[in-house]
Amino acid sequence: MNAASIEIRLSLPLSAFDLDVAIETRARSLGIFGASGSGKTSLLEAIAGWRPVRSGRIRFGDRLLLDTEGRTRTPIATRAVGYVPQDALLFPHWDVRRNVLAGAHASEAELARAAEVLEIGSLLDRSTATLSGGERSRVALARALCSRPEVLLLDEPFGALDLPLRRRILPYLLRTRDAYDLPTLFVSHDATEVQALCDVVAILDRGRVRAIGEPADVLHGHGMPARGADNVLSGRVASLAAGTASVALAPGVAVQVPAAGLEPGARAVFALGADEILVSTAPIAGISARNILAAEVESIEARGEDVVLRAVLGEAGTRVRVVVGVTQASTRELGLREGARVFLVFKTQSCRVLSTSV
Amino acid sequence: MEFFTPATLDVLLVTLRVAGGATLLVTPFAIAAGWALARRDFRGKSIAETLVALPLVLPPTAIGYLLLSLFGRHGFLGERSLGFDPDLLFTWRAAVVASAVVAFPLAARTARAAFEGVDPRLEHMGATLGLARGRIFRTITLPLAGRGLAAAVALAFGRALGEFGATVIVAGNIPGRTQTLALAIFSDIQLGADEHALGLVGLTVVLAFVVLWTVERLLAPRRAA
Repeated sequence: MNAASIEIRLSLPLSAFDLDVAIETRARSLGIFGASGSGKTSLLEAIAGWRPVRSGRIRFGDRLLLDTEGRTRTPIATRAVGYVPQDALLFPHWDVRRNVLAGAHASEAELARAAEVLEIGSLLDRSTATLSGGERSRVALARALCSRPEVLLLDEPFGALDLPLRRRILPYLLRTRDAYDLPTLFVSHDATEVQALCDVVAILDRGRVRAIGEPADVLHGHGMPARGADNVLSGRVASLAAGTASVALAPGVAVQVPAAGLEPGARAVFALGADEILVSTAPIAGISARNILAAEVESIEARGEDVVLRAVLGEAGTRVRVVVGVTQASTRELGLREGARVFLVFKTQSCRVLSTSV
Repeated sequence: MEFFTPATLDVLLVTLRVAGGATLLVTPFAIAAGWALARRDFRGKSIAETLVALPLVLPPTAIGYLLLSLFGRHGFLGERSLGFDPDLLFTWRAAVVASAVVAFPLAARTARAAFEGVDPRLEHMGATLGLARGRIFRTITLPLAGRGLAAAVALAFGRALGEFGATVIVAGNIPGRTQTLALAIFSDIQLGADEHALGLVGLTVVLAFVVLWTVERLLAPRRAA
């Protein structure tokens, strides 16, 4: 991979505005976050070659897909992209097995691997018409993976599903990322998904990139409301005891989360609501919450009545950051300021595990 | 009077042979034109669309006359330019050509609608999965457009069954050779054989009904599985 592993410069007219994007990042997994109608799908279609581009350059690692100046336009069939559109777009006249094996380079071995990672083995002989929304998404992802892509383009693959179902399917995406390790563009308007899956996220608004950076930083600034935002944290499961897993986020920083489906040594990804964290300026004892973590306030940002507080867990330099929602009043009364040492308190059950072990 | 005489059977056989031949002849052209109009953008597309539809509104006698000029001895596809006698005019093959030309617009327009009913994104997806164009057409586009294309073929057959005006000019009305149901009904009326004409009309209605019913069945939305 080159220094910048993903390079996307594109200019193309859409009906309401021009898509004009310049992204260059070393990220392996790039999130594209934005409201509907911001040009996200058009961007992926342009990368897949489905949509004509006025000018631009698209490169993933050493693979140059498009360079209008150098007159490179790789045909769709040789772009080697695995594309999962929002509506799955399964071939309606074939059963699941034939769909998954549709790719020119697909093989039974690839099918077996994808079926295991995505747990679609029992669906293979079904007609696509009988699949549920979540099953369709997994089959479409399996079809993309079996075509031996060198890049994955995921366009809100679970956009049509309701929230509980999306959360049940997120583990499959995490497993796919770990098992296949492909450069991925993941389009979503779900901040929790983007944080869980992407190294870097670009905020797209009316065809332009408004911000780009680490998901936790960028999303809390642009995409997410002060209330109801999620922190997405990950680490290795250090130990299991009595329905609780201890997840090491960094040296000296361990969090107790529900053990559901986790195994020792597995990577655990979990969400923690910013509003579910209590802030204490003094050490706290005699409380049922299992997580009491020392932290340092990094920044305080007022948003109307609310305050978004960013804190770094454990010793400085661990880089495990969380966002905490507090009120103006408590910020004042506790005398919270940048650099203050605090304790963050939250329940085990406030941590919602997004991954299951791989 | 007996209705099913050998002569009546001849009429029926000639009709089926001409309509069948015309359907075979027109199908590849109709599918190609339908596909091009549904999937391609090119200069002069609106002219092409109009030309495809033209036989629908031209008087069949005008089409017959044009074909006569085209295949006549001095015509563009006649003996003089080809260097041999195609021996087409006033044979059943001329009736096939005339019926095919007249059936072409209906078949092409139905085929076009069939191709337009296939989500082009499915074809894009085929390409993204690495499939070659021919394979995408054969394995994705054709099967998904299949019912509509079958309806196009059935409509071509139905239209060819009833062809009269162009046929009578290029193929004549020769019993046992080029006399189809439509032509035989005309002859019967001319000769005052009203009862026989009525029988042929009944036969035509049954054939046409079966064809149209098939088309309707093919084009009806499929019941959910």
